Amino acid sequence: MSCDQTVICRCEEVTMSEIQETANRYKCSSREVKLRTRAGMGPCGGRTCRSMIDRLVEQVGGPSVSHEVPLSYRPPVRPISFGVLGGEAK
Amino acid sequence: MKSMRVEHHPILGDMEKQQRVTIYFDNQPYEAYKGDTIASALLASGVRTLRVHEDKETPRGIYCNIGHCFECRVTVNGVNTVRACVTSVEENMVIESGKSFATSSQKGGQL
Repeated sequence: MSCDQTVICRCEEVTMSEIQETANRYKCSSREVKLRTRAGMGPCGGRTCRSMIDRLVEQVGGPSVSHEVPLSYRPPVRPISFGVLGGEAK
Repeated sequence: MKSMRVEHHPILGDMEKQQRVTIYFDNQPYEAYKGDTIASALLASGVRTLRVHEDKETPRGIYCNIGHCFECRVTVNGVNTVRACVTSVEENMVIESGKSFATSSQKGGQL
């Protein structure tokens, strides 16, 4: 297996090459990579792949890439269902 | 299938016999012991695929095994997105594997 085919975001099944191609083509931030590929938008909330996406974009990047908007953390810290959030008994 | 449990460990000793429970995974009964997680009980029974990816249909199972990655999510007693690796087994628990939502599996888009 080529390392390009390494799955970076397992939730959305986005490979290393998809992330690199997107970053290369659009010269964009990791947040834009996320929005274009869905990497980091799965059920784990990007907790597994966030730092890898950031690093890959950084490697491709060069000076034209802005890191003003990194992949952000948003509450809740852990993914939970709306039911639990709404007070449903566990 | 033969159990994959380590029953006699050179350092940890013999496996203590725990209370046996039965769980159902995709309508098949499996043996488990009290204190098992869903993932450990199924792995001991030789089940390594807990679901398939919703879109790509590729198999998924235990990945981080500490509740971090949500790779082992299954449906338990009708509740979805339950992590098999951090959920303890209970008697007669009904577990369903994650299925694909891919359009290719929906017979040409017909629901």
